[in-house]
Amino acid sequence: MLIDANVALGPWPFAPLPERTAPQLVAQLKSHGVNRALVSHLGAIFLPEPMPANRALFAAVRRTPALLPVPVINPALATWREHLAACIAAAPIRAVKIIPAYHNYSLRLPALAPFVAAVNAAGLRLIVATRLEDERHRYHALAVKGLPVAQLAAFLARFPATHFVCSGLYKPEIETLAATHENFSADIAFAEWLNTLALLTQKIPARRLLLGTNTPLFDTRAQVDKLRLARLPAKTLALIGSANAARLFGL
Amino acid sequence: MRIIDAHTHPVFMHDGATPAAARRLVAHGRAHGIVKMVALGDVLVHGRLPSAAQCRRINDETAQLKRWHPDYFIGFCCLNPTLGARAVEREVERCVTQHGFRGIKLEISNNARDACMGAVMAAARRWNLIVLQHTWSQTNIHQRRFHSDPADTAWLARRHPDVSVIMAHLTGCGYRGVLEAKGLPNLFVDTSGAFPEAEILDFAVQELGAERILYGSDLPIRETSVTVGRVLGARLTAVERRLILHDNAAKLFRL
Repeated sequence: MLIDANVALGPWPFAPLPERTAPQLVAQLKSHGVNRALVSHLGAIFLPEPMPANRALFAAVRRTPALLPVPVINPALATWREHLAACIAAAPIRAVKIIPAYHNYSLRLPALAPFVAAVNAAGLRLIVATRLEDERHRYHALAVKGLPVAQLAAFLARFPATHFVCSGLYKPEIETLAATHENFSADIAFAEWLNTLALLTQKIPARRLLLGTNTPLFDTRAQVDKLRLARLPAKTLALIGSANAARLFGL
Repeated sequence: MRIIDAHTHPVFMHDGATPAAARRLVAHGRAHGIVKMVALGDVLVHGRLPSAAQCRRINDETAQLKRWHPDYFIGFCCLNPTLGARAVEREVERCVTQHGFRGIKLEISNNARDACMGAVMAAARRWNLIVLQHTWSQTNIHQRRFHSDPADTAWLARRHPDVSVIMAHLTGCGYRGVLEAKGLPNLFVDTSGAFPEAEILDFAVQELGAERILYGSDLPIRETSVTVGRVLGARLTAVERRLILHDNAAKLFRL
């Protein structure tokens, strides 16, 4: 039983990736031992405002309880309160996601204070997506870079009472942040080195790491094997594979 | 499942150069089905332009690994072609005759099109060595003066059809890189490097054929379970998978 904290539906314009329906995505994940997944819609990254993609997400996963919708909110838009309320009304969500690098704002954005307060008040977890792909391979006409780790550190310091989930961090970034901040957990989608998890768990408690495959951009099998074949105690693997996600997202 | 890893750095930034570390790495590899590793050396420990003495030290470390585990490591000779023909010839001869190395590893001292590559390819031809050229798409990196784009490595293979060339880092080469490699039977692509981006291996097999692709990990920068998993996760036949993971390398390295 695995829970994947970093999965997407919808089209990715820069590579010939399979565009799966929700049932096809469930089958793909299940074939690699993933029973539940937190899913966002890739369209939310590129549209002028993310709600059409969020609505498509809710419609797509309505009959697939294995997929838990995570709508994307852009707090730099004037209407973020309406968007958040609409998402809460549309589906029983457990988390919302922000993608600052793609939505052209920094984590110093003043609106993030009321936004974080509203997300907390709604009992939701906030996922901060720091990157979606290796910047070296991005489409040549895009200038999007990963979120600077110093900016994320300042953000974590600004909201010490809130526990965030950060997705897309590189292994050194997780280690850097873990040295000074306890109010975040991280998915392992972009963390990689020989014996990744054995090394990572020396720098950050296993209870703050989550399986994330970044499906469909990354190969699901390869990402699951990072966890499945790690030489760690079964209890540690269970934390990273499902228990942490269950706790953080109230599953 | 038997696997040959065509792209490893058992010693990386000085780590891994002890007998205990080598033993651990061999045990790690065997646990993942890896029966042999191509050891490419600690190629960036002295920066991108190592001196002749620094190249010798890097290659001596690789030779030491081979002595400790002669049935496991295949040595490749790290070179800085900009040191000139005499330095290249001397170091290649030393690595082949004294250490039994089977190939040449080129990093980012120069671009694969540079004139200094003439001596490297002549040495490869003379000693029947495989040339593994670090390659990455320069579309977003902008270092082409010394860093080879897939178009440069393909140019090298086209210019020297009698030398087998490995274009390293499939994902770094990208879709454009796969297309650059078409129609060059002496050019192989290894799967090492970068995150396990979906579909590109499937694309490479479709465009080049599984016979032209070698499994590589780039360890310790990459996780073995991930680099093997991306091959197992691709939509390949059992025959294609075996070619990529083992048989192509066994044939190329004459094992």
